Amino acid sequence: MSAVAFKSAVDEGVVEELRAIVGDDERVLPNVSSRVNRTRVPAPFPVHRWADHMPDVAVLPRSAEEVSEVVKLANRLRIPVVPRAGGTGLSDGAVPMRGRGGFLVDVKLMNEIHEIDLTDRTVTVGPGINMLKLNEQLRPHGVFYPDDPASYPCSLVGGRIGTGGWSLLGARFGHTRDLVISMQVVLPSGEIADIGEGGGRKLRKSSTGLTLKHLFTGHQGTLGICTEATLDLVPRPEVEFAAFFAFDDYMKAWRTTGSLTKSGLATLAGVVLFDEWKLRYLRRDDEAYIPQPPDVVSVIAVAMYGTRAEVEPASKVIMQLGRSEGGRYLGDEISQGDWASRHDRYATPLHGRTRDGQAVPMSWHCEDAALNYSVLPQVREEWHAIVDRYINEYEVFDDWGMFAYTNGAHRPWADYLVEIDVGIWEQRLDDETWEAWVRCKREIAEVSLKHGGSITACHGATREGDAELVPSEMGSSWEVVKRIKRALDPNNIMNPGKQSMDEAYR
Amino acid sequence: MSIFRLGDQRPPAPRQISDDVVMRFDDVYEVAPEKMQVFPQQELPAWDTKRIVDGRWDHLDWMHDHFADAVLSTGLESETMPPEEMPSEETRDG
Repeated sequence: MSAVAFKSAVDEGVVEELRAIVGDDERVLPNVSSRVNRTRVPAPFPVHRWADHMPDVAVLPRSAEEVSEVVKLANRLRIPVVPRAGGTGLSDGAVPMRGRGGFLVDVKLMNEIHEIDLTDRTVTVGPGINMLKLNEQLRPHGVFYPDDPASYPCSLVGGRIGTGGWSLLGARFGHTRDLVISMQVVLPSGEIADIGEGGGRKLRKSSTGLTLKHLFTGHQGTLGICTEATLDLVPRPEVEFAAFFAFDDYMKAWRTTGSLTKSGLATLAGVVLFDEWKLRYLRRDDEAYIPQPPDVVSVIAVAMYGTRAEVEPASKVIMQLGRSEGGRYLGDEISQGDWASRHDRYATPLHGRTRDGQAVPMSWHCEDAALNYSVLPQVREEWHAIVDRYINEYEVFDDWGMFAYTNGAHRPWADYLVEIDVGIWEQRLDDETWEAWVRCKREIAEVSLKHGGSITACHGATREGDAELVPSEMGSSWEVVKRIKRALDPNNIMNPGKQSMDEAYR
Repeated sequence: MSIFRLGDQRPPAPRQISDDVVMRFDDVYEVAPEKMQVFPQQELPAWDTKRIVDGRWDHLDWMHDHFADAVLSTGLESETMPPEEMPSEETRDG
């Protein structure tokens, strides 16, 4: 085999060691196409610098022991390791940092269901399984794993854990960190650790020792690689109820959102508030919104899941609250159809528009934040003003509107996942426009911090424009973060550079 | 049994729905051709449009069934649009 140009310490000898570990040449991939295809995620990407982000070699392990040996090798040779599951993230957790290369550990072959325990209501899986496929296997048993991201058809459990995923049904069932009961993790040293509540693999609450589970959920691959997870199972819902309400004024919709989320209805799975910019975007080519009259400028979507005995009476309360400030019901067909379409906007080619209205293919950057209810109207104005400035200066950006989605697990009343969706015409990116985008992103994130929010509710702060703000958001706890990173990963091999964690080694 | 006739596959002329949107088949919206000058609109035979629309409805039905045993309806129509502007059952059923 011909030599491959490696950026890190990976050479032909290292590739041979990887082959010896996994014992299968087909699962060690130094060829260009295998590395190119594992270089980016759906978030806007500096396509003109693609090669700078490529890993040196992709490895597809099948067991925790193989992962452990791969990480030990990386640790011995000081080679970066980037874990990757579905590669569907909306930040750069699964993307090698510019110029670092290294091993990309792709866990998608670790997709087994190890155990379904219907007595204690758990399922134990490998990190490479997809939630949709898992739920197909669970259905005959009358149970459900309710982690429902926008990427539901294609994201994998391991990535959900690594990024601290957020679920569209989180108000009812919780988000990924609430649904993972315990996990097995390969640490940066290569040691294999069982992480959970105390020592029990299937326990949902313990006070023994330190609670490490949250530390290993949402670390963006900087503290280890999940190799197995035990997940919570809920009864399969008897009924689904979705109701969409239209408003002629954003503030009426905002107040109604507050009423709905403070209703105390336990079956409430999510409430989403679309602003005026989002409605203008949807009127371009969305069949539910094109025919709506001009006075529909803001929309609320509500969804509930549970037993019929709970959801049926609760739906009547929702219909009353949804109309309490002049909201108009969009009807069963649009409500049910648009709710069922909730994953479909994950791919939005050709939804972009140039300043003169021409349709062009743009990728979708959703800048996310966690914000309190009280600041949503003000943040909305400041975010759109920033994006508008960049649209006027550059031809490659487009404002696709904002939404605010209930963010608190089981307690949806006070804080929101808020996103401003910005289209980026990647084919036109160069160094100047990419740097402009990074500045735009940073300005948006700074508004979130100014209003007491977090710069990311679920996507992660792993790319430029976000990562440099992590220390200021963490404040006095940043020193603790750095000590933990340094203690667990003394050689800084595990997804190095993400979230500004290089600072731990200075 | 229906007979495939090539002439039937040519889509009807578009009707303007708004400044940015046209419609050739009921409830099937397309970006107006004058907005597709940078990336021209692909020409689709009628059967392919029908396939895409039918596939869309199949997908929505699958979604409902995947997440719950039943969908609870209010029995209410849209309060924002007159009934004739609602997506028709004829289109839904193909």
